[in-house]
Amino acid sequence: MRTLALALPCLLAVACGGDFSNDDLEFQNALPQREDLAAKLPDSARSGQGLGTRVQRLSASLVLGGTSELALQAYAAGTQFNTSVDGLLSMLELFRNAPPTTRETDRRIWGPFPADDHPGHELRFVMNRQGDSFAYLLQFRPKGGGEGAWWTYLPGTFKADGGIRKGEGTLALDLKEARDNGFDTKEATALDRLDIGYQTRALPTRVELLFTGAGASVPLTRYASRQTPEGLGEMAFRLPGEDLIPGGLLETLDIVARWTPDGRGVLVLNILEGDAKGAQYTECWDTRTRITFMQRNWDFITPTEGNRATCPDVSALDPVP
Amino acid sequence: MRASIPALVLASTAAHADTLHRFALIAGNDTGGSDTRPLSYARDDARKMHDLLTRLGGVAPADAKLLLDDDAKDFLAALAELEQRARAAQARGERTALFVYYSGHAKDGALRLGASQLAFDALKRRLADAPVDIRIAILDSCRSGALTRTKGARKAPAFDVESGAARDARGVVILTSSAADEDSQESDALGGSYFSHHLASGLLGDADRSGDGRVTLFEAYSHAYARTVADTADSSAGPQHPTFSYDLAGNGDLVLTDLRASAEGLVVPGNAPAGSYYFVDPGGLVVAELDKTADTERRVALAPGTYRVKRRLSDRLRIGDVEVARGRTTILQEPRFQDAPFSDDPVKGAMLDKGAWWTFGLTGGYQSFFDAQTRQSLFLSVPLFGAEAELHDYFRRDWVWGFDAALGGTNSVLALPTLEGPTYRYSMVNVGTSLTAEWPVGRVAPFVGVRVAYLIMGRKFDDAAFPDQRYAMVSPGLATGARFQITRRLNLTARSRLQYLQYTVDAQRSLGFWELAALLTYEP
Repeated sequence: MRTLALALPCLLAVACGGDFSNDDLEFQNALPQREDLAAKLPDSARSGQGLGTRVQRLSASLVLGGTSELALQAYAAGTQFNTSVDGLLSMLELFRNAPPTTRETDRRIWGPFPADDHPGHELRFVMNRQGDSFAYLLQFRPKGGGEGAWWTYLPGTFKADGGIRKGEGTLALDLKEARDNGFDTKEATALDRLDIGYQTRALPTRVELLFTGAGASVPLTRYASRQTPEGLGEMAFRLPGEDLIPGGLLETLDIVARWTPDGRGVLVLNILEGDAKGAQYTECWDTRTRITFMQRNWDFITPTEGNRATCPDVSALDPVP
Repeated sequence: MRASIPALVLASTAAHADTLHRFALIAGNDTGGSDTRPLSYARDDARKMHDLLTRLGGVAPADAKLLLDDDAKDFLAALAELEQRARAAQARGERTALFVYYSGHAKDGALRLGASQLAFDALKRRLADAPVDIRIAILDSCRSGALTRTKGARKAPAFDVESGAARDARGVVILTSSAADEDSQESDALGGSYFSHHLASGLLGDADRSGDGRVTLFEAYSHAYARTVADTADSSAGPQHPTFSYDLAGNGDLVLTDLRASAEGLVVPGNAPAGSYYFVDPGGLVVAELDKTADTERRVALAPGTYRVKRRLSDRLRIGDVEVARGRTTILQEPRFQDAPFSDDPVKGAMLDKGAWWTFGLTGGYQSFFDAQTRQSLFLSVPLFGAEAELHDYFRRDWVWGFDAALGGTNSVLALPTLEGPTYRYSMVNVGTSLTAEWPVGRVAPFVGVRVAYLIMGRKFDDAAFPDQRYAMVSPGLATGARFQITRRLNLTARSRLQYLQYTVDAQRSLGFWELAALLTYEP
């Protein structure tokens, strides 16, 4: 028994340590999750054709009681928006719940690990903290490369506001840098960069996607999503080069669609450039995505059709003065 | 080691056994003040004597007073009440006898009843003045012989037990368990003091050498004397010599117990083999012994119950069970016994030294780290509940080797500089071993020692976005407190611990925490 008493502390000493860390939690809190960034679509939303889908012409086929194609396209934009967010966040999943490899004051490093999707490369994830601001980098380098060989594929920032993932943040996917380092960006070859900016500090929360095309110096397309805890959702996007109005010019459209959790919605389409510059079209739909109200500001004979009262109250998404 | 004084009195002449009105005051006290170590069996001895006197000694339950751990004031008050009853009995023309039995501490010429004292001289005067015809005091305590040395004290049974006891004995008889310069000793194997055990065993029948079914005062004393001296001859404290003082007017021997007073009992028939018989109760304690001679029927007035009877031969044991039924006399069937080696005998000599012993208990307490930030956001303050086992006197006497395990937990909300709001469950497991040294003083035993613990702390967040976390570390520390003896087998311990914990995850930090706990232990 005495021998056992001496041996027991030695055995226990071997099983010491762990990952009980407050700092780890603060670093992990700086990483966004899908539920923070994804657009919340109503159950009636069906998957669409992607962000590149063209808006149909504002033709006479738009009839009261008919299916709102604009609503479906807004939902499709939201679905594709979420797909893009998922693709980006999936790259962070490897590190989200894993204990860091290296802990330093105000710094955590995961890796280096072999990059399974990119043979011959290894990756690491580095997070730095300065006060309540965090910066993180997903980096790759050729296997065996030195410290200077690391290049950043996914940079991100987060400024914490105290709550659970409450704050303002950015993250991006540098596709051009990836291609320059020999990575195959597959279907994203037309893009140089995907940027996400978000704020979860105050309601309504906001997420914005900026797509910068290959060779472009400014973002080509912008998608923004906002939502409230009650389930109201908003998808705003700007589409250039749309042939919405018959004529010689292409239109630049600014679309804001809002919906309720049960699937009712209202959409406002503004033509910023093109044949009908200044025109505005408003449309409301019911839970079955059937048009219940239409308003055209250029039509002086029948500017409205249907009952405006059928439009859902989505004023909670209005900017707070 | 025992410091006790006994006093029991009961008497009646053989011829007047039915007419003598007997009163008994029986007191047992395990404690004797701050300068004495607590006894283990003084109260048990008193209980046994009370049972014996009311069952076989002709003392009606209403005329018997049993005092356990009461002080001198209570003792004298009870004595006064019995004296008043005796006075009333005398007024009715009855002959009366008063037995006083005391088991407990005695020191410096006085009985020690807890923190109170009762001087030998005062007790003797009180007995001498008691309004009864016969007074018998039996004192089972250290140096109790001081009570008898002034008159009639003997270190040996120098008187003969008279056969054919005369009538009309009157006066004072005092038996003490040890001489004026001796300690009285207890035995864990017997579950009582040597003297009281042999006196009780004798009163149950072993002392009935005459075989008439009655045990007289002289028979009982002679038996207790011889057996006590024999059993303690080889002890580290040296042999213990009971003393006897008598001042009896008349010529009588006094019948202390009538073995036929109770219908139940055990008869060892004359044709049973001669030798030493031991009667062991279900608790493993020898309640009676019998030294039987050939062709002599002996009766042992055992209380109803099941007993294991052992007969010792030179090379083996003979063992059998016997059921003493209420209201019936049971005949011992020795031929039905089975042979057994001595290694199977836990009685008589195998456990004279108690050695190491275990206690088991349940604990409840509270743990908290000294550093405020740590206990608020890292290792939280939690209540602890657990179980413990203690091995006493293993390394050396009064050293306790403890093994403990405790669990604790609480729900909390995380509050960090950049993160506030996640709810989680904090849990901790605390196992350890400790070595403490005790200094028993009376019923209280303060202790101090060292402890090594292994702590596992964990937290589980309600939000799955935050991973479960765990930390484990060996923690050295100190422990101190006091153990309070509630009963002979039950102890309550108040304890504090100071522990050191090295934290190594976010940074190398030296942390300290404290624990306060109460522990209730039982000795099987």
